[in-house]
Amino acid sequence: MSTAIVDARGWQNTFDLRTGDEVKAAGALVEMVGGVLQRHPYPGDMDPGSNRWVTDTGLDLIGRYNPRLVFLTYAAQYFSGRYTPMTKEDRAKMMADAFLEVERFLSISGFSAIVVGMGDMIPLSGFIDATALDGLAVCTHWSARYAGLYGPSDEDMKILRGHPHIQKIVHRDEVVRLFDGSAQEASQVPEYLMLAREGYAFKTTAGAMRTPARIPAFNFDVPLHAPGHSIQAITGIFGALEQGLATRNMALIVLEGVGLHDFLWSHSPCRNGTEWYYYEPGEAQYLTITTGEHRFLDYPTGSGYKYLDKKESTTDYPLSGLFKSIPEGTFGRIFPGRSIAVGNKSMFMHMVAGADLSVECFSRNMHNQGTMAVIHREDKPR
Amino acid sequence: MYAVSEGAIKERFPHRWSSCGASRLESIPFYHAYPGSRCLAIGTLSCNFRCKYCSNAFVAKEDPAIQQELLYNLSPRELVNMAKKLNCSSIVFNVNEPTVSIPSLMDLAEEAKASGLPMGCLTNGYMTVESTELLASIFSFFNISLKGISFHFNKTYIGINFTKPVLRNIRRLARDRHVEVTTPIIEGANDGDIDTIVDFLSEVDREIPWHVFRLLPEDEMTGDKYPDIRAIDAALKSARKRLPYIYFHNFVGSEWVDTLCPACGTVVIERFSLGCGGDKLKRLNGEGKLCPTCGHGIKLLTGTIRDDFNGARQ
Repeated sequence: MSTAIVDARGWQNTFDLRTGDEVKAAGALVEMVGGVLQRHPYPGDMDPGSNRWVTDTGLDLIGRYNPRLVFLTYAAQYFSGRYTPMTKEDRAKMMADAFLEVERFLSISGFSAIVVGMGDMIPLSGFIDATALDGLAVCTHWSARYAGLYGPSDEDMKILRGHPHIQKIVHRDEVVRLFDGSAQEASQVPEYLMLAREGYAFKTTAGAMRTPARIPAFNFDVPLHAPGHSIQAITGIFGALEQGLATRNMALIVLEGVGLHDFLWSHSPCRNGTEWYYYEPGEAQYLTITTGEHRFLDYPTGSGYKYLDKKESTTDYPLSGLFKSIPEGTFGRIFPGRSIAVGNKSMFMHMVAGADLSVECFSRNMHNQGTMAVIHREDKPR
Repeated sequence: MYAVSEGAIKERFPHRWSSCGASRLESIPFYHAYPGSRCLAIGTLSCNFRCKYCSNAFVAKEDPAIQQELLYNLSPRELVNMAKKLNCSSIVFNVNEPTVSIPSLMDLAEEAKASGLPMGCLTNGYMTVESTELLASIFSFFNISLKGISFHFNKTYIGINFTKPVLRNIRRLARDRHVEVTTPIIEGANDGDIDTIVDFLSEVDREIPWHVFRLLPEDEMTGDKYPDIRAIDAALKSARKRLPYIYFHNFVGSEWVDTLCPACGTVVIERFSLGCGGDKLKRLNGEGKLCPTCGHGIKLLTGTIRDDFNGARQ
């Protein structure tokens, strides 16, 4: 059983991660992790101390659990960059601060690092209003490039194909073929996938009320800092981690909202998708990195669309967003040594990293409720 | 949201919506209306209160005139069609205050009624007798925010002088509409009002579901201390003996979100709370509105939605 400990500031509760049932978990590890949560209240997504929280929490866990593999996500610059209009200088300072946090972590922990930026952000040029269709267009407000399309009429298709800010409309079959998917996986993919031109974002139902200042750019390539490795695509990070861990402690560090333009360390461009598809920030991109395989079809909902067309088949994993099972093949699950993950980008680190222990902020639509830790494994020797 | 034009009060931005998306009724929150069903959640802009802790300040407190480009421009028919396409069984106004958009909501209600879709809303209940009747003609289920009773709290945190209209309107709406009530608690500010609120609710209808929120310090209260969950829970101890449906949530993992049978204590409805509009139905134990153990009737707006909707208007 995986155990989740939620810390809502001054109050903790413990659950079976799968069922969401309250459990009376006890033991040294539960106490240790509960203590870490208590000592590190999350300051908030837009707070200047948000990235510092990642470093401090990670270091605290390392000191008490002694892992050989660490996953860290720093996302403050993604949230702030997304919603706060900034001068060039302010933006440069924000990026520099993010890298300073990574440096601080590495110098104190002594871990070797692979650092990947998840992609540039660019100013929003405008929305593509897809609400007045006969069919239904769906995307999350975090997505810019992609929206799913269901049941379009001929008239809809005529309008959408002629839209100046829509680059392409791809049929489900082409998406499934691109990722070599099965019939079962095809059922998760919308009838059509619409692709926006750079700088534009789809406006469908379920749009957020906050308007972004910046949205993800066309990140066909993302920056990768992996000294001593030659990695062509994000699917190659898995192998480099494996290789590194043979001789030393390794940290995989993810910088959200940082692309080729803002990456301050030596880096090489790394393919962030396949053919016409690139990953936007989200679960599928993480899973692809942590499993070494394209996982778009495992988690298409994270890439920008979800159509609630049927009754949910299960209420399992209520604390894990849209995940309904623990993903197989993640590096943390496979690695025999001890591992931890810490992140300030929503509540999915415990699923995408697969680490023994994970700590993440519990912020829903940027409302800061506290933190959550998940204990997947407590049987690994020191 | 209104202006005087040619001697008449007119809505400035009719049929412009700040939000429009599918949601679960538990997440609004409605715990005793159509459990587990999906609604189309909508909102407009602006508010008649100025709460210090507004969680939607970017909608409620901003100048609506400068936000127009961001809005959805959807006619009543388009909204109803959207609800159907998203398999929603109701439409709920939940972002800001419905009294700032009454004409648009009346148009929408007409279209929704024709399609058998009931409408519900969140409201602060601060409105005239006439507006209350208009809202009662639009909505069949309400969650009314009774933020506090004391003069000091209302003046300092909400910006109003008295709650009399809110109390009057809760009384009125509870007569023939489904009503749930929500109170965000701030220690040292309105936790002293708990007993008075319980007195009032138990007098109106002791089976009114009461949602006590642990306030999230946001907006002008950002940086303030988070209210203490154990202390609020303790403060609710005597209230629980008087009101059978008290829920304490708005924080992840709350253990006070299940519905217990008022007669025998059996857990009738189980929920999971993710806080901040993320509550979910977990399990319905038993059939219909009866306790599976003792057969006691549970206060629920349920059955076929069309039936309940029509029934509420009889």
